[in-house]
Amino acid sequence: MTTTTTTETLHIQLQPFFLSRKKYFQLLHLLFSVPATGELLVGIQNNGNLQELEEIHDGGKILRNFFEHMTAEQIDRENEEYQRLFIGPGPLVAPPWESYYRSREHLLFEEWTYQIREQYHLFGLQYKNENNEPDDHLLLELEFMIYLVDSCLQETKTDRLVELISSQIHFLENHLTMWIPYFCKRIIEQTNSQLYLGASMLLEDLLTFDLTTLLEVREALPDVR
Amino acid sequence: MSDKNTLKDLLSNKMQRRTFLKWSGAIGVPVIAGGIGTKMLVDHKEETKTAKAKDTEKIISTCSINNCGGRCVIKAHVKDGMVVRVSTDTQESGDLSTPPLRACVRGRNYRNMLYDPDRLKYPMKRVGKRGEGKFKRISWEEAIETIASEVKRIGDKYGPESRYVNYASGQSWGLHGGKNAARKLLSLTGGFLNYRNDYSSGAGNVATPYTYGTNNTGSSFDSLLHSKYIILWGQNPSEMIFSTPYREYLMQAKKNGAKIIVIDPRYTDTAIAFADEWIPILPTTDNALMDAMGYVIVKEKLHDQAFLDKYCIGFDGDHMPVGVAKSESLKSYLLGEKDGIEKTPEWAERICGVPAGKIQEIAREYAKSKPAALIQGWAAQRQAYGEQFMRGGAQLACLTGNVGKLGGWAAGTGYWSRSDIVYPFSYENPVKASIPCFLWTKAVEKGTEMTEADGLEGTDKLTTNIKLIFNMAGNMLINQHADINKTTKLLEDDSKVEFIVVSDIFMTPSARYADILLPGTTFFERYDIGVPWCFGDYVVFGDKTIDPLFECRDEYDVFAEVADKLGLKEKFTEGKTTLDLVKESVERTRKELTPDFPSFEEFRRNGVHHFKYDSPLIGFKEQIDDLKKHPFETPSCKIELFSKALWDMNQQDEIPAIAKYISSWEGPQDPIINKFPLQLISWHYKRRCHSTYDNQAWLEEAAKQEMWMNPKDAEKRGIKSGDRVQVYNERGSIYIDVKVTPRITPGVAGIPQGAWFTPDKDGLDQRGSVNVLTSQRPTALAKSNPQLTNLVEVKKA
Repeated sequence: MTTTTTTETLHIQLQPFFLSRKKYFQLLHLLFSVPATGELLVGIQNNGNLQELEEIHDGGKILRNFFEHMTAEQIDRENEEYQRLFIGPGPLVAPPWESYYRSREHLLFEEWTYQIREQYHLFGLQYKNENNEPDDHLLLELEFMIYLVDSCLQETKTDRLVELISSQIHFLENHLTMWIPYFCKRIIEQTNSQLYLGASMLLEDLLTFDLTTLLEVREALPDVR
Repeated sequence: MSDKNTLKDLLSNKMQRRTFLKWSGAIGVPVIAGGIGTKMLVDHKEETKTAKAKDTEKIISTCSINNCGGRCVIKAHVKDGMVVRVSTDTQESGDLSTPPLRACVRGRNYRNMLYDPDRLKYPMKRVGKRGEGKFKRISWEEAIETIASEVKRIGDKYGPESRYVNYASGQSWGLHGGKNAARKLLSLTGGFLNYRNDYSSGAGNVATPYTYGTNNTGSSFDSLLHSKYIILWGQNPSEMIFSTPYREYLMQAKKNGAKIIVIDPRYTDTAIAFADEWIPILPTTDNALMDAMGYVIVKEKLHDQAFLDKYCIGFDGDHMPVGVAKSESLKSYLLGEKDGIEKTPEWAERICGVPAGKIQEIAREYAKSKPAALIQGWAAQRQAYGEQFMRGGAQLACLTGNVGKLGGWAAGTGYWSRSDIVYPFSYENPVKASIPCFLWTKAVEKGTEMTEADGLEGTDKLTTNIKLIFNMAGNMLINQHADINKTTKLLEDDSKVEFIVVSDIFMTPSARYADILLPGTTFFERYDIGVPWCFGDYVVFGDKTIDPLFECRDEYDVFAEVADKLGLKEKFTEGKTTLDLVKESVERTRKELTPDFPSFEEFRRNGVHHFKYDSPLIGFKEQIDDLKKHPFETPSCKIELFSKALWDMNQQDEIPAIAKYISSWEGPQDPIINKFPLQLISWHYKRRCHSTYDNQAWLEEAAKQEMWMNPKDAEKRGIKSGDRVQVYNERGSIYIDVKVTPRITPGVAGIPQGAWFTPDKDGLDQRGSVNVLTSQRPTALAKSNPQLTNLVEVKKA
C-alpha cells in the first residue's frame, strides 16, 4: 500500500468523525449564543437532531424536552435568563470568560487571555474586538475549535492532520476543559432554565468526551502511518 | 490492516460513539439557522503584530478622578493593549516641595476594578418596574435616541427646571466627566435646575463665610511644620485622604515637636499614627466642648484681647454691631451672663462626656502653645447643627489669635488653594433657579412648594417638580443620600421622576433605578487631568492607557452623540475631543496662569506636576498684616464672631448669631434616646472612596464592612465580636457584623459609610448601608445633610 492511499483512506475514515464533531461544536455554539428573536432556537428545535442527542446524553434529554415544549413566552424568558447568566447588568451568574475561572482574583484579561490570543494568532486569526473584549469568551473558543475541525476536514496531509489534532488536544487540555466544568457548575447550580441546564450538561461532557476521543485517535494515527 | 481496524474500532465500538457519529450524516443545524452567525475570529492583521513589539511593556502614567481628596500617580503597565499590572509614584520622599504621590490600598486595586467581570458592558433599558433591577440590552443607537427624545419631551412639557443633574462624585476632579457633559447638553437645550453646595462640608460651606467671609480659611500644609500644637478635630487623614501628601507634612510636624491631639468618638487610625492624645467625645456635642474651652480661655484670661479687639466683631459688649445688645456677645454667652448658664468644663462634661479636667487642660494647652493649629474635619459638621461646629472652631482660633499666623490655623471649613489649571470645558445654564443639593428629593416630591426658607435661590418659586434626572457616575440617587427607604419609594413611582439616566462602571444601588443605564469608562480608558481637592500643589496627568472595554463609552462622547441627534453637536464639542480638552488646558495654563507649567508632552512623560512656592500660604495673612488694605469679605469687613446677618434671620434657637452648643435632635439629650439608646455615626473607610469600590473583593479583605461597638454596649446586649446584628430606628433596619472594640466611645456605634444597599427579598439591607438609618431632615441654616446624627438600637440578629 502506498502512502498516498493510506492518507486518503485515513482522510475518508476520519471524515465522519470530524463532521460530527463540527456539528456538535456548532450546536454548542448556537446553544450559548444570544437567543434573541428566537429564530435560532426554532432552528435548533427543527433541525437539532435532538433524538440522537437524547439517546447519548442526559443533558440531551433535557434539551429535547425543552425544545419539544418551547413556546414564544419561553423564548422571552430564555432571553432574560441569558442576560442574567452572561450579560448583566450587575454580577454575572456565570461569566463566560476563561480567565475569570483560572485567575486567582477572578478577573478578565489575565494571562489566559493572552494565551488564547496567541493561539488565534498562531493560526492567522484574530478576535474582531481584540483588546475591547477578552479573547477567551466561550463562544470564541468554540468558534476556534470549529475552525480547527474545519481545517481537519480539508487537510489531506497526514502530518498536518496530526498537528491539527494535537492543537485541538492542546486547546482542550489546557483551556476548554480546564474552565468549562466550573463555568457549567455555576449554571447548573443556579439556573431554572431547562435550556441552559441541558446545554451546560452537554457542553461539559462533550468536551471531555471529545478530548478522550481525540487522544485515542492521535494514539492510533502513527500506527496508520 | 490491523492498524486500520484499530482506528475503525475506536470510532465505532462504543454505542455512544456510534450515535455520536450518526451526526456526520445528520443535517447540520447551522445550515438551517444560517450558520453560526457572524464570524468573530477574522484574519489576523500581520502589520499590527509587528508594530506592537510583542514583548515590551509600556508604562503609562495616569490618574483616577474619583472623589478622593488626593490624587495619586497610577502607572499602568501595558502590554499588547492590556494592563498587566499597576504601580505607583516611585519618587523618593524627603523633599516636601515634591512629595511622592503614592497610591494607598485603594489605588493598588485599580487593575482589579478595571478588569472586574461585573463591569457594566452594554447600554441597557429598564424593562421591569423601576428599581426592580430588570434590564434589557440595547444598542447605543437606541440609548442615544431615547435620551435625546426624553430630554426634549420633558423639557417641552414641563420646562427646563424639570431637568436635573444629580450630585455625583464618581468622576469629580477632572476636566470633563459625565456630570459636566450632561449639564452642557441641558444648557444647550434650555437649561436645568441647578444645585448648590455638597454633601462633604455642606453645613460648613454656608456657615464659615458668616464668620470669615470665605471658606478659604486654611493654610498650606507646610505651614504646619511651624505649629507647636495641632488639634485634629474629627479629622481622619489616615483613612480619608484630604490630600495625598498631607500625612507627610503631619509626620514632619510631629518630628518638629508639635503635640498632636485627636478629638473623635473613635480611636481612629489617625489617632494611632499621629496623636499624643485621643479625646473621645459624644457625636453632636462638639460645641459643648468648644464652649467650655472658650470659657476656660476667657475665664483664665488666656485669650488674645488685642487680636479680638482689632479684627473681630462680637467678642465682648464693646464690639457689637450697631443695634445689638451687649449681652449678646460671645463673652457674655460663655460666662452665662444672659442665660445664667456658665459654660464651664463641668457643664460641658455632662453633655459631651469629656472630663472637665481634660477640657481645662486642652483649653490651656491650645491657648498657650503658640502657634497652634485647630484643624477641623467635616464629620462633625454633618450633624443637625453642623453650622455651629464649623463656626465654633473658628471662634476658638480667634480667641487664641491663631489666625493669619505661620503655624496657626483659622479653623472653619479650611479650604486653601494657590495652584490651578484652566478648565476649558464649560457651559452656561440659562436657568438661574437653584436648590441645596441635599434637598433634591424634596424638589422631586414638592419642588413647586419650595421657598426661600428651603434654600431656593434664583427664583421665588419653581414652575415644576423634577421630572428628569441624569445621574452620572454617582451613588447619591440611592445609596449616599439620606433615608434610603424614603428615596427608593419616591423613585419607584415613575409618574414623579419620569426619566432617569445612569452612567456608571458597576451596577450600584443607584444604577438599579435607571431607565437608561449606560456603561461608563474608568480613568484607564480616557484622557483627563486630575486635580486634588482644594488642598495641594500638584496636578496629575490622566493618560488613556487602553481603549474602552466592551461597549463602554466616555460620557463626553455619549452626550456629544445626543447633541448630534438634537442638531447641536458642534455647539457641544466645539470640534474638540477629550484629548483636545487636555491639550488646551495645558496650553492655556501655561499661557494664562503658570508660565513654567510643562508642555503637554512633558507633562505626559512626567505624569505629574508640582507647583513650587518659596513660602507657605497662610490663611488671612494679608488681612492680619494690613486689615485696611485687605478687609475680610464680611459685611463688617472684620471677622464676625457675631454675625448680624444671622441675627437678622431671627431664628436664634437654631441659627444663633454666635456659634453655640445646640442640643440636637437625635443627640444624647433627645428623649427618644430612651427608645433608641445608641448614637450612630459613620466614617470614610480606608477601603472605599465614599461608596466607590464597595464591590471590590481585595478591599473588603483589607477592611471588612462591620460596625464598631464599645464592649460596654455590646455586653448589655449579649453581643460578641463577629456577631451579626440588626441595627434599626424608625427609618429602617440593616444587618451587619459587629466588631466589639474599646476604640469607640460608649454609647456610640460606628458604621463605615458607603456600603452598597443590598436588600433581601423583604427589602432589608444585608450589607450595612448606613443611609437606611439616616434622616432627610436638613441642617438649619445650610439645608445640608445631617447624616451623622442618628439614634438607633442594636440587637443580635
